[in-house]
Amino acid sequence: MQRRKKRPRTRLRERYERRFYEILRELSIPLVILHFTLAAGTLGYMWLSGGDFINSFYMTVITIGTIGYGEVVRGSDSTAGRIFTTFLALGGIGVFTSTITVIARVLFKEELQNLWRRLSMMNAIDKLEEHYILAGFDEVTAELARLLERRGVPFVVLDDTREGLARIAARQLPYYLPEPPFEQETLLAAGIRRAGGLVVNLGDDARNISIIAVARLLRPGKDDFSIYSFASSPENAERLEELGANRAFYPGRMVAGRLAAYLFHPESDYLVTLFDRLAFGEETDVDLLEVAVEEGSPWAGRTVGELRAELGVNVVALRRPDGRLELDLNDRLVVKPGSRLLLFGRAARLEKLRERLEEAHEHA
Amino acid sequence: MSTRKLLTDFFVLMALTTNVSFVVNPNGIELFITVVTNLAATLLKVGEGRILSAELMATGLVADLHLIPALYFFYTGEPAESVSLAWGALAANVVSVLLVVIDTVLKSSVEDE
Repeated sequence: MQRRKKRPRTRLRERYERRFYEILRELSIPLVILHFTLAAGTLGYMWLSGGDFINSFYMTVITIGTIGYGEVVRGSDSTAGRIFTTFLALGGIGVFTSTITVIARVLFKEELQNLWRRLSMMNAIDKLEEHYILAGFDEVTAELARLLERRGVPFVVLDDTREGLARIAARQLPYYLPEPPFEQETLLAAGIRRAGGLVVNLGDDARNISIIAVARLLRPGKDDFSIYSFASSPENAERLEELGANRAFYPGRMVAGRLAAYLFHPESDYLVTLFDRLAFGEETDVDLLEVAVEEGSPWAGRTVGELRAELGVNVVALRRPDGRLELDLNDRLVVKPGSRLLLFGRAARLEKLRERLEEAHEHA
Repeated sequence: MSTRKLLTDFFVLMALTTNVSFVVNPNGIELFITVVTNLAATLLKVGEGRILSAELMATGLVADLHLIPALYFFYTGEPAESVSLAWGALAANVVSVLLVVIDTVLKSSVEDE
């Protein structure tokens, strides 16, 4: 018998659910009072009519609901009936209107609606796999989110600062959690166990370190879970890499590097921007892909010319096992195991090749 | 002693006792009071924050969903059907009372720790 996939329970979800029911609890006492008013009215009319439940209940509802169609129950047009209806209307109308007011106030409470939205969002996050977690949402991460959206890569944003939340609201992001990103329960709720990577940008190296440490405890393998972090200086970038980040970036150096590329190649502006667009996912039709040719791979031992013809993409560069980069590739060059190939071609074609290669490596 | 807990526990027990009195001696007033006490118990269980609150709520809803049709059948001329539904509700109410006892024991042992 196939077992149903169990949805992971996180403490954050339990906290949201508990708060959700705590708010709903405000409804219970007014509803109980309304319930007993209805019950008292129905019982009274049942006593007057000799047990006519349906009409007694109906008469109570139209009396306390201020509808007042008339005396539809036998006995309600007697003196005793009219005295009873008078007191029921005097007490019941107040109970009815105040209960409706409480229900409207509770159901339209912003906190209740936010909790409901967050719980539905967490249900959607539970279905994500190989997604990215963006911890901290400043201008740079917002731009990264735009590029991920463009590529159709799912991501979950974590930010609890006022500025971050304002930016999230303006962008109408599909998945976000307004909770402290460095807490374990937030990372678990963001689906860190199924995620492909984490981008850390909390604007402060100490906070960046704490989230990297928590994330690495949950996902120790650098190969199956990548952590990319921002750093405030090149030295701190190195430390963050030693502490568990796959790569840590000093933004100043990155921007300077890109600017230098433009300055050094003023005539090849199109080429520089093309590589930018490729690298940053702006050029969605064509792409670059770097693949490793492992021992036993179907590509190992083949010539570059054969691979170019068979794969239908261009092999633009090859990094030899000793680290040497070959750019001027001859068609007769044999691809040795341990090499890395840089392929250039249609994005859809490259994606298929990558999947085929992964399958071949799994079977090897 | 919490007043809210006292009120909820009172109606949970009252739901069971009125339910028993209806199945022993089926009549309209008894059934109506059973429905009233059951619905009150269910409303009071919302957001109570007990250890077994989900289980308590579920048993309360089961009893209500037996008793409301029972009320309908009783007043549309099928009292036998109504009594059998009330037996179903009685089973749920017994479980409900047991859960209240278990919850209280669990809560006191958690507090002791």
